[in-house]
Amino acid sequence: MIDSDVIVIGGGLAGLMAACVAVRRKEKVTVLTFGSGSLPLASGAIDFYNSKFPETAIKNLPVGHPYYRIGLPAIKDSINFLKDVTARANLPYTGDLSFQIPIVTAVGTLKYSTLIPESMDASLLGDVKKIFVVGIRGIKDFYPRMLVDNLKKYFSNADFNPVTFDLNLLGGRDINCMDAAQMIADNDELFINELKGLNATPEDAIIIPPVLGTTDNSTRVTVKTQLHAALIETTCLPPAPTGVRLQRALTKYLEDNGARIYKNANVFGGVVEENRITGVVTKNSVREKFYPARKFILATGGFYGGGIVMREFDKPHEPIFDLPVKYIVGEENWSNPKLFADKPQGFAATGIFVDSKMRPIDSDGQPLFENLHVIGANIGGKDFIHEKSLGGIAISSAYKAATI
Amino acid sequence: MEKYTVVIIGGGATGLGILRDLAMRGVKALLVEKKDLVNGASSRYHGLLHSGGRYVVKDRDAAKECITENQIMRRIGKSCVEPCGGMFTRLDIDDEDYEEQWVKGCNETGIDITPITIDEAINLEPRLNRKRLRSVYLIPDAAIDGFRMAWQLVDSAKRYGGEFRTYTEFVGLDQVNGELHGVMVRNQFTGEIYEIGCDIAVNAAGGWAGFVGERAGLKIGVQPDKGTLIAFNQRIVSHVVNRLHKSSDGDIFVPHGSITILGTSSISIPNPEDTSTSREEVESLIKIGEQTFENLRDFRILRAFAGARPLYIPEGGELGRNASRGFAILDHETDGLKGFFTIVGGKFTTFRLMAEKICDQICAKLDVQEPCRTAEVPIVEEVPQAEKERAKKFFPSYGVELAAERLGVEKFRRVVARMESDPESRELVCECENITRAEVEEIAKESTTYSVDDLRRRTRIGMGTCQGNFCTFRGTAVLNEMCEQSKDKDTLTHMRKFLQGRWKGIRPVLIGRTLREMQIKRAIYELSMNVTGGEPK
Repeated sequence: MIDSDVIVIGGGLAGLMAACVAVRRKEKVTVLTFGSGSLPLASGAIDFYNSKFPETAIKNLPVGHPYYRIGLPAIKDSINFLKDVTARANLPYTGDLSFQIPIVTAVGTLKYSTLIPESMDASLLGDVKKIFVVGIRGIKDFYPRMLVDNLKKYFSNADFNPVTFDLNLLGGRDINCMDAAQMIADNDELFINELKGLNATPEDAIIIPPVLGTTDNSTRVTVKTQLHAALIETTCLPPAPTGVRLQRALTKYLEDNGARIYKNANVFGGVVEENRITGVVTKNSVREKFYPARKFILATGGFYGGGIVMREFDKPHEPIFDLPVKYIVGEENWSNPKLFADKPQGFAATGIFVDSKMRPIDSDGQPLFENLHVIGANIGGKDFIHEKSLGGIAISSAYKAATI
Repeated sequence: MEKYTVVIIGGGATGLGILRDLAMRGVKALLVEKKDLVNGASSRYHGLLHSGGRYVVKDRDAAKECITENQIMRRIGKSCVEPCGGMFTRLDIDDEDYEEQWVKGCNETGIDITPITIDEAINLEPRLNRKRLRSVYLIPDAAIDGFRMAWQLVDSAKRYGGEFRTYTEFVGLDQVNGELHGVMVRNQFTGEIYEIGCDIAVNAAGGWAGFVGERAGLKIGVQPDKGTLIAFNQRIVSHVVNRLHKSSDGDIFVPHGSITILGTSSISIPNPEDTSTSREEVESLIKIGEQTFENLRDFRILRAFAGARPLYIPEGGELGRNASRGFAILDHETDGLKGFFTIVGGKFTTFRLMAEKICDQICAKLDVQEPCRTAEVPIVEEVPQAEKERAKKFFPSYGVELAAERLGVEKFRRVVARMESDPESRELVCECENITRAEVEEIAKESTTYSVDDLRRRTRIGMGTCQGNFCTFRGTAVLNEMCEQSKDKDTLTHMRKFLQGRWKGIRPVLIGRTLREMQIKRAIYELSMNVTGGEPK
């Protein structure tokens, strides 16, 4: 039987983060994952709150907000921790709670975020003369014309130069950004030559799809040393290399520090003794397996991750521990008539309510189990996508739960 | 002033059928539609090519029309019809006497039915609820694609000189002393109102026929009747499965490609624009559907949608399920307006027949001797097998078949040529429905494409499993690059509008795996792409 101090269920941003924090505390950690996790879907940028000054906004949130329960010190510590882990994996992140950093989306909008990979930092775009937008023949999902049309609205004085590189990617199956990133990581010569051919100066910037490798910053460093201008990666449709890099950086940290990661581990239930969980059981077509531990962290996500499911109206549930799930009743409150509304979507607030130790609570606010913690998108009460707090909630709740 | 012999108002199946019919008889005709083609009941329905079985007990004439047209449509509209066959199933809760009347009705109407055993039925449709099943008959129902039919009718009409204008709304008639001179229309983009001269105008506006009538100063007995439907993401059935009972809500399942449509309800509504659907309507359809397929809730619902049947209710006539599904042609010369016709009622299955009947009347007025040929001449020429084989070099082979059926031979050739010359255009814009960039580009540059939604109706992007998660981005970008007349050049607006259209159908079914898909959509467009736009607050 495998002995663990901490078992983390879920391999998304929250789960991996919690495992990394626990590992740093010298605990024996087991991560049980099923599916690809949330990171390939995401841009790798970690949003904290939709405000110019996230720290002030978060400080002023009401008592019931998950951030309030997590507390500002843990939120700040989580940022520093993530920066440290990513820096060690040669994937430097930048930013803090006091301001927001712009990144360029694949559509050509600017998006503001708190904690981002250095390769996406678009802060200097306002000061450059020339902006090259590089398309690569054969890459699907990157359309320089649309990007330029939209980005012009922010930087009307800049001189935009859309260009297309031919890196001999055509002729086989469809190539997405992940494929191209891998190909360029394997052989960057042609790409570097084309970039050099732009003759960009230190006063220019070059916007590219996220193709600078799939693991860390090494491709970017190689490319950058041969250029004078800044190189900025955009977001893209999933799977996003920028998100995958973060997933790999966190996973590598876990592996290097002795954590065990079990993939395809479909956890279907927990074993309870009084007010403690003693273990969880995984199940596949051939066998069941019992995993005991001292502490459990549930990071199976919301509706996307499958941590919360709802087969029939008004009957949401949490499939592993059958924890109480709070949700908003009534069709008119479940969703807004407009998809992009200036108010949160009711359904997206569905989830588990937690105390300040991230433990699931009952209707009286009392913790249900001493040693079970619920983090990330499993937590209910707010529409994190609308608040633009999904990533921030993930890493800060993970940090809090792992340091209890 | 420009001048046509006939102007047709309404770009649904009936109007398009009339356009093609007139064009084939050499009559100079123009169709005007206030939105895009087939945005009303011609696409907002089951996609069922009726055998007539549904009507044999109540309305023999309608049933006879159905079986005749069913056979014609299989010949002339091959690439729009999926000849999957149908099944009528009586459950334990259904009236036995009705079955007897129904069998008699089918026999007397000439609808070929074959009784099969419960075991045979389960063998053909394994998901049927065996415990409830009492008797089963096979019947020649089929599935038909309303969108595809529309574009192919247009292509066909164009070949004979027929013309059409979308986003062109009828606003009134130009008449002098009861004699028609022309129709007044408004360009929906510029707001400009102008006149198109004509000898005859036809009101084929379906659920909107009453509104068109009002604008012409006439009162027309049309009652929009809302039918709500659910699209499931799987092929739950491989035949059309009907309940063998008195026609009611939620009793027909129709397979289409990789999806299944369940419907419908029947609710009288004042405004045909009302295509809203509610959780309650969805629940009620599922509850009835579960009687036939007990595990129905295990299947992911893609969306709910609704359309307004244009029921013809003469003064004192009955509403709802009791209203006739037959059609009527009104020559308003009897109302003192010479040259104005209305066609109302009917159903998709019989649109060709409706067109033939009214065109006979119009041609008689115009003294045109050409007979109707729409029942004999195929709507589009099929893509020869050799060309399909050649195209497999660039397409996934499943995609070749789909594209060949969607496009017809002429467009198919253009798409293949594009792929041949530009390898980049071979990539898939929509993985769900196997639609290549070449096809989307080809359609985007057509003069009647203005929005991503127009692209959707012509290509099916955004209609598959992911409901636009990926192809909204790609489709918008292609539109931005290829479509000169797109009035609204802002790509963010295009994306928001399109995703809002998808959202409308998703909202009432926001349960199960649909919730998961929705969160993916929001993560992509709200978080990764920030299409909501703007700076942080």
